[in-house]
Amino acid sequence: MAWGLIAAFAVVAAILFGSRGLRDFDPALVSYAGATVFAAFGLGYRYAMWLRRPPTRVYWFRGWEIFFNPKRLPSNIAHLTRIFWNNFFLQRFIERRSRMRWTAHWFLAWGCILAAAVTFPLSFGWVRFETARDSLNVYRAFMFGIPVGSFHLGTPIAELTFNILDISAVMVLIGVFFAMWRRGRDHGAMTVQQFSTDLLPLILLFAISITGLFLTASTHLMNGLHYGFLSQIHAVTVILTLLYLPFGKFFHIFQRPAQLGIDFYKQAGAEGPQAPCIRCGEAYTSRLHVDDLKAVQRALGIHYQMADGSHYQDVCPRCRRKNLALTQDGLWKAMSERGIN
Amino acid sequence: MSERMFFIDHSRCIGCESCVQACAECDTHRGTSMIHLEVIQRSESVQTTPQVCMHCEDPICARVCPADAIKKTPDGVVQSSLKPRCIGCSNCVMSCPFGVPKYQAAIDQMMKCDMCYDRSSIGKKPMCATVCPSGALTFATMEEIQRTRRGIPINSWKFGGEEVRTKVYVMVPRTIERVDVELVQVTATPAPLPEDPYDVALMLEETI
Amino acid sequence: MAKLPTDIPTIVSQFGPSLHRVPPGGWEQTGEDEKQVKTHCCFCGQQCGIQLRVRNNKVVGFEPWEDFPFNKGKLCPKGVKRYMQDEHPDRLKTPLQRAEGKGYEPLSWDAAMTRVVSEIQRIQSTFGKDAFGILSGASLTNEKAYLMGKFARVAMQTANIDYNGRLCMVSAGAASKKVFGVDRSANPWSDIPKAKVILVAGANVAECAPITTDYLWQARENGAKLIVLDPRMTPIARNADLFIPVRPGGDIGVFHGMMRIMIQRGWIDRAYIDNYTSGFDEYARVVEKYTPEYAAKIAGVPFDLIARAAEMWGPAPSSFLLHARGIEHHSKGVENCIAAIQLVLATGRLGREGCGYAMITGQGNGQGAREQGQKCDQLPGNRDISDPAARKYIAGVWDVPEESIPGKGLSAVPLVEAIHEGKIKGLLSICFNPTVSLPDANYIRAALEELEFYVNIDFFLSETARYADIVLPGSLMEEDEGTTTSVEGRVIRHRKVVTPPGEAREDWKIICEIAARLGKGEKFNYASPRDMFEELRVASKGGVSDYYGMTWERIDAENGIFWPCPEPGHPGTPRLYENKKFNHPDGRAHFYPVDWRPSVEMPDDEYPIILTTGRVVSHFLSGTQTRRIGALLDQYPQPRCEMHPRLAEKLGISDGDFVKVESRRGSVVVRAMIVKTIRPDTVFVPYHWPLGRSANNMTIRAIDPVSNIPEYKICAVKVSKAEAPTDPISQLGVEAGGVR
Repeated sequence: MAWGLIAAFAVVAAILFGSRGLRDFDPALVSYAGATVFAAFGLGYRYAMWLRRPPTRVYWFRGWEIFFNPKRLPSNIAHLTRIFWNNFFLQRFIERRSRMRWTAHWFLAWGCILAAAVTFPLSFGWVRFETARDSLNVYRAFMFGIPVGSFHLGTPIAELTFNILDISAVMVLIGVFFAMWRRGRDHGAMTVQQFSTDLLPLILLFAISITGLFLTASTHLMNGLHYGFLSQIHAVTVILTLLYLPFGKFFHIFQRPAQLGIDFYKQAGAEGPQAPCIRCGEAYTSRLHVDDLKAVQRALGIHYQMADGSHYQDVCPRCRRKNLALTQDGLWKAMSERGIN
Repeated sequence: MSERMFFIDHSRCIGCESCVQACAECDTHRGTSMIHLEVIQRSESVQTTPQVCMHCEDPICARVCPADAIKKTPDGVVQSSLKPRCIGCSNCVMSCPFGVPKYQAAIDQMMKCDMCYDRSSIGKKPMCATVCPSGALTFATMEEIQRTRRGIPINSWKFGGEEVRTKVYVMVPRTIERVDVELVQVTATPAPLPEDPYDVALMLEETI
Repeated sequence: MAKLPTDIPTIVSQFGPSLHRVPPGGWEQTGEDEKQVKTHCCFCGQQCGIQLRVRNNKVVGFEPWEDFPFNKGKLCPKGVKRYMQDEHPDRLKTPLQRAEGKGYEPLSWDAAMTRVVSEIQRIQSTFGKDAFGILSGASLTNEKAYLMGKFARVAMQTANIDYNGRLCMVSAGAASKKVFGVDRSANPWSDIPKAKVILVAGANVAECAPITTDYLWQARENGAKLIVLDPRMTPIARNADLFIPVRPGGDIGVFHGMMRIMIQRGWIDRAYIDNYTSGFDEYARVVEKYTPEYAAKIAGVPFDLIARAAEMWGPAPSSFLLHARGIEHHSKGVENCIAAIQLVLATGRLGREGCGYAMITGQGNGQGAREQGQKCDQLPGNRDISDPAARKYIAGVWDVPEESIPGKGLSAVPLVEAIHEGKIKGLLSICFNPTVSLPDANYIRAALEELEFYVNIDFFLSETARYADIVLPGSLMEEDEGTTTSVEGRVIRHRKVVTPPGEAREDWKIICEIAARLGKGEKFNYASPRDMFEELRVASKGGVSDYYGMTWERIDAENGIFWPCPEPGHPGTPRLYENKKFNHPDGRAHFYPVDWRPSVEMPDDEYPIILTTGRVVSHFLSGTQTRRIGALLDQYPQPRCEMHPRLAEKLGISDGDFVKVESRRGSVVVRAMIVKTIRPDTVFVPYHWPLGRSANNMTIRAIDPVSNIPEYKICAVKVSKAEAPTDPISQLGVEAGGVR
């Protein structure tokens, strides 16, 4: 709860500070800002709850500890840059799961990121545009109240700036199309998908994008027909999505970066001593990992200590499977040796 | 018809790998086999064993997952990791008492046996338990199993101090109530030279 | 003439074997099927029911067929991945002719047929009708097997037709025929779980007939004792109540040793023997020789094991014998089988529920393909070709003069020997890969080089097809329809799932066209395989394997019909001998005083080790299909030489070392696999691979005098540590005969 409030206050403070005490704040966008504050509360709360889980806490702190280890920091940063490009920008790891899935996700993700990069600063009052005093054809852009540039109407940069949300909407729609196509045809996906976790987010994104595009259409093609109504509908879809952010599938956006931590964790583990299996003698993971797992298991009340003082966690997964079969087969053997059938 | 369940009898396994081949034909993970088939120690024995997910009532894999990525369906099937969440840490791989989850390096994710959810969720048998020629893997009603097997199905296990109950049952002799797992080896001690010149049986004997 | 047109690596690069791993459309394609067709696996004699999934006239996967009573959806790995031979890149889609120095080039069907027919006519008119031989296969449907026999006798009028069932089932068949007068398993598989003791003699059930495993385990659940005879501890032997690691070729020591005890202890059914059999006394006299010492010496195991087997088998209330190649692939294969079956007959435990025996047929249509008249000595209906009544009847069915039907021809091995000796100049083969599957492979390859003309019909360019002048692209099982007869004697239906790709044709159309061009069109005027079945049904009428009462509709509706089914409405005969009537003129079953004799080549000082050969679970026969399926090859990529650590230690060999296994006839270099699960005096090499990895380079070209089955299960070899081979063949992919 405390972390939720802290996150919410942080957003409020950022709005106040970034909009120079609300001087640059656009009152028309207040509902968006409000929903964002609420989402921040939810996210902070959810994130804190998540970190309370013993395994999460262990790896979260361990990840940072390894990352900021002074000896490793330079190579860590280099590594981070590399995986940022591959995993964040290109999202290659999804491509390896399925090309269709990757296409859908890449368009969805970058459509959303692009849109967020524009709309959050706008609704927070961090960025604003105004017409230049000397020419109606020149627009000036301000960030945190500081002028950062100007451009002429009708230039490509102007078109891009004004239409960036349309571009992102189209990207999202492409992504939604691919995702729906896949979810409607792939037997495997159809089996495990659930409405609330897999389809609702796509519906929300679709609603935001399509109502956003309607706004553009209304402005440019229909002389502002129903603009007010459409903008309210659009606001509703955005606000609903913002409120859904902490609870549904979108939480993975905030959770996922933990994968980077795991990457460093695995690297550090591989460079350190390895844990040999007590049954076959072969190394099967890092000592670090086994020790941390034992700590996690203790915290969770999982008791793998064996009667003879050994620890079941020290048996590699393959030997566990073999051991299980030998145990079960042995029960039958003992039976037939005793002559009972 | 009463509900069909999964029964495993490791001792029946003949190592043919039908389950491995058929697993890759299941739509939830087509092209990737999720089942394990172990050759225990070929130099000593022809014993082999299949291992499917036992679908624990309180899955340890899910408990140790930092990303909260492993979920159980309402009907008790523990699913593969949720793709948006799984961060590829392998905690589940290392903690599962049955050694079931598989870390797929190419996609940096854990995948595991989901009892062919595309099939079992609509009343069909999982692939492995349909094709298994030895009956080591069987999907049947409790009544059918009790009628046709000399042993009994149990779903209670103990690993050290940890008691585990599973959705999947294992076939054991009638006197057994719980499988208490201790470390067992196939010992590699050479058999002594037999007195009888024809006693190759002794030379072929496996010792556990 | 028929030397290879170019070097093997070039041929392999063009025609494979190459590995197919991904279904059409890729693994991600998981949409709806157009249809799922109920048919049967193309591989072994179990003939499991399976459904093939079809999209766009392409087989894209499989779905278990749980309602088929024999396997209830169960499949071995070969069955699961069999669909990967559809849409295979190696698939032959046009006729080919050899191009000297280049390999093979496509030609039109018309040109190919013209060449084939003119060569048949040239060779037959120059050297006589019998100078053109035919080698056929036991993986063909009943209809095609029938067609091949008729084609040989009516269209080509050659006596020399035989088939690769000669390498598989003939010892078992001959033995059953001698004892009971019928060549078929006596019981349906549903009797197995009802028996209280089961003897498995020389059958690696887990790997060669995997579906039968569940029947055995089910019997054990019901309280049965399981006895397994095998020189290797196979997966079913591991769990057997009694495992007898018999020496290859020593089986009669066990059987007769058991019988001697059973006679002494009164564990035989005197009344049954007196009332329904003949020849027991002569048999008993031979058995008397098998004292504990003698039996143990022959069997190569302590007598105690034989005694325990007798104690389990003798007094049991019900019993079942299963036998397969382990006792059949011998120059005394028929005698081995007779000795085993007599354990059944002497106890009278036959012809009732849970009591009887079965032979485990190996090839897809191993049962049916030996009944329809493509054996050198048989006419349809399992009729003897030298029996005047049989000739007369079949001549009537075929509407040809009786004297135009040739007499008994050469069986597979002598036929190839006749090629080697230049007596047979031309060869047509279908569904047969003898360079991998016949013994003494170097000799076989040399024989093929002697041919003046060789036409091969197949869907892949097999190692044997490389010697052909003309290769005609035939059909896969799922590209044609017809019936097969399974291991149980159950006649079942294979349905057409897709049409042959490219210019490939259904096999029967190819054969019928050759017949037509030979001027016998009116005798081969079939519109479909169903027409052939209708004729076959009549041809089998009154024969031992009587199909007369069957129709395709009934086969469909009843999930197969067991022969004999002599008239319409007859329910078929799942279990034979229920009325204790046997198919000999005297109505009795016959005992034979068979006695052990040494195998043709016994180990000696120079070649001191026994080599035995066999199969692995992921491959089928000569491997020309399964070595092209990636998932199956991965499971067992290359042959290994199994040997006991005691032998390995003596030879200074460690696990994974390259070893040269060498007989008087040839050798292979493979890796050693050191396991305690094989007799120390025996090594095992599986035979599915060609060329430098072919176990049949070593095996001996010796045959059983009655059945003519080759002695695959024992020859003498020496084994030594070797360097990694570097010859061009060894560098090929393992699917093509390379080694890693």
